[in-house]
Formats: sequence, structure tokens, C-alpha cells
Amino acid sequence: MAASENQEGIIQYVPFMSFVHPSFWHSLTEMKLDVDKLNENTKQIWGRFTYRSSIGAVFEVDGTSFNKVPENEQLYTNIKGTIMNKNTIEEFKSIDKAALLNSVGKELWASLQDKSWISKPSSLLKFIILSFADLKKFHYYYWFAFPAPSQPTVYVKNKSANITTQFDTNQIAQITQSYKSLELEQKCFFAIVKNNDTIQLKTLSDLLDTKDGLQKDVDVSSTYFVFNDPSSGDNPGWPLRLFLAALLEHCPSLVGSEIKVIGLRCSATGGVENSHSFTVVVPKDVKAVDAAGWVGWERNDKGNFGPKLANMSSSLDPVILADTASDLNIKLMKWRLVPDIDVDVMKSTKCLLLGAGTLGCHVARDLLAWGFRHITFIDNGKVSYSNPTRQVLFSFQDCLNGGKKKAEAAADGLKNILPTAVSKGIAAHIPMPGHPVGESLKEETINNIKIITEAIADHDVIFLLLDTREARWLPTLLAAHYGKIVINAALGFDSYLVMRHGIAGSPPEESPSVGTAFISGNSLGCYFCNDVTAPGNSLKDRTLDQQCTVTRPGVAAIAGALAVEILVGLLQHPLRINAPAVYNLNSDTEDVPPEMQGVLGPIPHSIRGFLHSYQTVAPTCAKFKQCIACSETVINKYKEEGITFLLDVFNSGNYLEEVTGLNELHLSAEMTDILTLSDEDED
Amino acid sequence: MSITTITFHEFLDSAKQFVQKSEKIGDGWTLKEDKTDNLKTYLRKDAFVQCQDENMNHLLKVEYVIFYNLSYGVPSFSFNAWNSTGTLVTLDDIRKMSFIQINEKDFYSVITQQEHPIFQKPYFIMHPCHTETLLAAFKNKTKNIIVTFLGLITPLIRLNLPLEYGL
Repeated sequence: MAASENQEGIIQYVPFMSFVHPSFWHSLTEMKLDVDKLNENTKQIWGRFTYRSSIGAVFEVDGTSFNKVPENEQLYTNIKGTIMNKNTIEEFKSIDKAALLNSVGKELWASLQDKSWISKPSSLLKFIILSFADLKKFHYYYWFAFPAPSQPTVYVKNKSANITTQFDTNQIAQITQSYKSLELEQKCFFAIVKNNDTIQLKTLSDLLDTKDGLQKDVDVSSTYFVFNDPSSGDNPGWPLRLFLAALLEHCPSLVGSEIKVIGLRCSATGGVENSHSFTVVVPKDVKAVDAAGWVGWERNDKGNFGPKLANMSSSLDPVILADTASDLNIKLMKWRLVPDIDVDVMKSTKCLLLGAGTLGCHVARDLLAWGFRHITFIDNGKVSYSNPTRQVLFSFQDCLNGGKKKAEAAADGLKNILPTAVSKGIAAHIPMPGHPVGESLKEETINNIKIITEAIADHDVIFLLLDTREARWLPTLLAAHYGKIVINAALGFDSYLVMRHGIAGSPPEESPSVGTAFISGNSLGCYFCNDVTAPGNSLKDRTLDQQCTVTRPGVAAIAGALAVEILVGLLQHPLRINAPAVYNLNSDTEDVPPEMQGVLGPIPHSIRGFLHSYQTVAPTCAKFKQCIACSETVINKYKEEGITFLLDVFNSGNYLEEVTGLNELHLSAEMTDILTLSDEDED
Repeated sequence: MSITTITFHEFLDSAKQFVQKSEKIGDGWTLKEDKTDNLKTYLRKDAFVQCQDENMNHLLKVEYVIFYNLSYGVPSFSFNAWNSTGTLVTLDDIRKMSFIQINEKDFYSVITQQEHPIFQKPYFIMHPCHTETLLAAFKNKTKNIIVTFLGLITPLIRLNLPLEYGL
């Protein structure tokens, strides 16, 4: 410091820095919603500061600030204040800040005049909070003020010094002891009188004549005026400003003299050895306290006089709390077990679920659990009384009055579980091959095709969770055309199939040899690749994908879970949809070369499970070049003819077999059968 | 094989002793007893901590909570921190402000944000999995298991453990 030891300088008080406990906003919110409502009356609250010489002049409020009686904590001084919570941001902005401060100043002024401060010294300290609570966003605008008169201006002589320059160790121990036995109300401001070696603590009532001036026996030169000092630096804390103003107002005899002041700063155990002593010089021409002219608004973080903002949405908004808490589960996987997992990819991936039945509901719930937030349903059905027990997004209420639309009820169900889910339902019928479209339905069918096409183009992942084989045809073709990830699940009575599809394009050039260990993701077969008949008649007796409702209930839960896990595995693979599938996937995934694995391990092409024997197999199959849904022939035909081609397919059960040449294959297959039989006959 | 976990009553006894000592030296720990659900009893201390990141000085208030972890049978350490507006500090902020002396690689395996078993709100919790083995080495040699436990943690965290606890 450039200032020399003996220089006198204008006293610099360390202002309070407000510090709000999260529970303060919690209590304020409850109070506003349950008690005050639109009432804007000011309310009395409590705040406190510590004079434990540690962190600086911090002024704290918390949830207990609204209590009638303050909680007493050791080495803290409680201060009475008021909060004025405005209903609108406009009122908060437009209120006359100077007038508000002066109105509190007037009360203080009155207590100086009627001398009531002498018996209740702590009443000198007050604070104001002006606030506006935006309870939709949990944003709180607030501004603290610690009213103090701008006058009188006094000076300090010398730099402040440790208390040891004034008292010896014994005396300090004596002060510590006497201070502890002072009445709570008197601890805030008092005096120490030193006579030779004896030390005496005096309350202000002992020291000051109630009319004016000091008591007759008081010798200023041996009296130290003491205040609880929140400051931890060389300058005295804010409370001294009020103490000096009150003293000078009460004792005109002090004008023109030097006053000894102790800023009481305690150690953790309550010892006063860290206290500071100040010598205050009061000039002869000092100005008196004014009824107006009060200062004390707090500066914000930018150093300006202005309000602060507390954005408490992450800890108070229940919607955000639910969202972050469910995210925590996924982050914990990353933090604890799978450091390379990408937690954001799930949030940004949009899923389209075709079918909002048993499978659709299970898949949606598992997607939510994995952190997916964009989930759209397409379904044309309504919730019926038999649904809620198996279809886990629905409840009895959804069945009433003819039943809600399933797609919408499922989306609502998801948002009920997690309000931040972005979910909607589209009610649309999926046209099917071999289900002729009459003239009367042509327009509606074309409209449905458009809706489905747009939905597929808009999403990243298409789940096929339908209850018939035919209904899967159109979305399989469209998804292959648009290059989307397709996850397909189909159920039998006690068996299931879960698989991912490849994308449009020709099958691999070379037919796989014995040495080939994998198929690249884009060349994987679709649901129809392994079938040599076109979909057309679901009344034929098949075990899989027939009548979804006649399944063992656990099958849908298992298949739905596997469908989501395959998707997540795929998204966590650097090649995503192109992630290869190995031919021989067994439990020893350590044998699978690392480049075949994603962050969560290798990703199978398909999983077939049999609940009857509790067996699972994971076959891998390549694209079939004559596939009726994803082959180049079919996709090209769709590209050329568009909706006309689709309508032709819907109207004729055999059209697809003609287009792909499957009917010729049937003929040659029959030939093979015959040849085989004749071989055996020879044996 | 000797039992290395700590029972709730051992925890509670140590906690009571610990708080008495803390009161004597003004260290600020308090015991919050839950009479209806005893297992929700915990030790708590609030303190201001000055933290620094790249460009700013932050004064934070930190709430330290030691509770009994029933599934691991050990004391567990958790904390939350907020700035002057009352906004809670994020895990990433905690890492950046070198509030905890752990290298970045191990950070997330030692400290994670979890729903607190007592408060049902997100807290930063130190993973308890190594606590048992570490404490086992001291179990019969220590006067107070809480002091030993804190002794293991304080090198990592900005929390002062006065020497007087050892006396």
C-alpha cells in the first residue's frame, strides 16, 4: 500500500455480499403459491452474517429466513429484514428503488430519534430484498439492500491493526469470556472499557445516557466501541457505518474527536484474538444523519447497481428434475462402467414406432429408459378393454367412451411418465399387399401412404411392431429406400424374432464362402429376404407373426427389450447401420474381432427365441436379390412408378412374385425337390 | 474371515463422539438424527469454499454429508455446492474448479452425481466400493471410525480436518 502509516483516509466500509441458500427459493415459492398468491405485501424475514473471520462479509438467507423466530447459530448475528416480492417483472423494474430504501431509512431514523436503538442495538441493522419470482421458469430476480445513511463521513487514522496492539493475551481471554455471557440482543454492538489492567464489557444502555450523550462517568479515551465485524480484511464491515452514525447522532460531544473501535472477529472456537482495532477520526464539520439520503443497494456480479438472477429450474422445476434424474442413470453407466458410451446419441435419435400395441408399448418404455426422447407412434386402432393388462402404456381410463386412439393414448402415456418426452401419435392405416384397394378407398389409401412416407423420411429409426406380416411390407420398402435403420420384431405364441434390416442396394458381389465371418450391415437381409413367398394371405397357419394377441405375455416384453437393445448397440457402433453382423455369435464375444464390435459388444443380425425350450439363436443372413421388399428390382420399380406401383401390389397378391421373378424360383425349387427324391430312391 | 463392515450402531456411536469433538473445536459438524427412520441419521457440515476455474473466482457454499450406507456397511461421503444465487454447481464445474484433487481419468469413477438415498435429490457421492477394504485395515486400531474415514477422504477434497480430532 502506498498510504503511509499515519495518513488519514476516508473510511471504507466493506459492503455485504448476499448469499442465497437454494432452500430460500424453495420456501419463497411455496409461500407465494400457497399463502400470498397475488398479495404483494412486504413480509418480515431473517438474514444473518457471521463474524467468524474466514470468508468475508457474506450475508446469508435460507429456508429458515421465513420463520417467525430466527434460528440461532453460534458466531452469527441475525438481522431483521423485509422482502417485497412483486407479481410482474414490470413492477419489479419500475418500483422507485431510492424511495424504497428511504422508507426503511425513515424507520431507522425514527429509532435514532426515540432512542429505542440503545436498548436494542441489533435493530440498527436492516436489509431489504426486492424480488420477482417467475414461477413458470423458476427464475428469480432479486436485489438486496443494506440501508445505511450516506452521512456522516469520517476518517480512519493509521492502518487497522490486530487487537493485540491494544490488549494483552490475558485481557483478550477475559474479553472472550465476558462476550460469551453477554445477552444475545446486546452482542451486536457494545463497548469495552479499559482501566489500567482491568477490562469491563458494557452494554450500550450502560454507556449512553438515554436522553443524549454519554453517561457521566464514561471516558472516551479508555473506551472501545465494539461491533460484530463480518469483514476479514483491513477495512471495517458495513455494520460500523450504522453504529458510528447512531453514536454521532446521539453524542454530539464526539464530533471533532478520535474514537477507538474494535471490529470483533472470532475464531472457530469463539476466541476474539483475530479482532481488528480502528482509530476513527470525526472531523469538526461532520454532517449529520439525514432522514433521506440512504444508500445500500448491492452491486451485481458485473459490479453495477442492478438485480441478480437465480435460475433455479434445474433444482426446483419438477419437470426438469425428472428429466435430469432419469439422465443420471445413463450417465452413471458412462461414469462407472462404459466410459466410451455416447449419451447424447439417444437423445437426438428420432424413433418411429409402427404399431402401438403390446410390442409398441414395451419398446417405447425401454426407449425412454435408455434416454430416447423423440418417439412417434403410428397405429389405427383404439384402446379396448382387453388392452391395458398387456399394453403397458394404457390404463382403464383410455378404454372408456369407445376407447382413445391408440397412437395418441400411447404418446400421452409416455408424456405422463416423462413430461420432457417429445411424443405424438399418428392414426393411419398401413396398406398391405394382397388387400385390394377399392375405388372408394383409393383416396384415403393414397393419403395414408403419404403420411407414412413422410413419417419414415422424418425419423432415424423405424420399428416394425405390427401384428401381421403384410403390414410390414410397405414400411420395409420405404425404410430401405430412405436408408433408415429398421428394427423388426414379430411374435408367435411362445417364440419371437427380433432383427435389423440392411438398406437398399445390391447384395454382396460374391456369395459368402465358408471363410467369410461376417456380413456388413447394409447387406443384411430384411424380414422378407428369407421367405420365398410374397405376403398375401395371413390365414395360412404360421407360428410367427400370426395373431399377436395369442402369445405368452412375457414374449412381447422380451422381444421389445431385445429390439431396443439391438438399436442401442447399433447406435453405439461407429459404423451405425453399416455395423457388421458376425455369422457365428456365441457367448465368447472375446473371440469376436474388435472391429466387429461396438461400444456395447457385437450386434447380431437377428435373434430368434423359443420360450418353450428357453433357447435363443442368432442367425445372420444376407440380402436376397429377389426379395419382394428390399431388392433393387422392387426399389427401382417404386422409384419409377411410385404410388401406382404400390397400388398394383396392394391389388394383386401375385404381382410382387412376378416382378421379382419369385414365381420362376418356385418352379425351379419344385424341380430340386423332385431331383432330391429321386436321389434317395437310388440309395 | 473377519467382518470388515461397520454396523449402523458403530456408525452412530462414532458419529456422536465425533460431533462432541467437533463442537469443542468449533469445526461445525452437526448430527441430524431421524427418530422415525434411524438409518436416515447423518452428519452435516456447511462451509464456504473459494474455488477457481480458468477465469473466475467463485465463492461456493458446500454442504458435506456423511451418512450410513446400508448396502456397503460403511460410512459414505456426499456433498452439494451452490453459488451466491443458490444455483447448484454441476459435476463438470466441480471437475473444472479442481475442487477435488483427482486426475481427470479417475474423476468420474470416484465422484458421481446420484440421487441421494436420504434426500432423494441429486448429490455428488463418493463411490463407497473401496471404503470397506480401506477401513478394514484400521478398524480395530482407531479410536473413531469417522475420523479415520475422513482422513482417507480429505486428501482428495477441499475439506479441512483439524489435527485435534486425533488427540
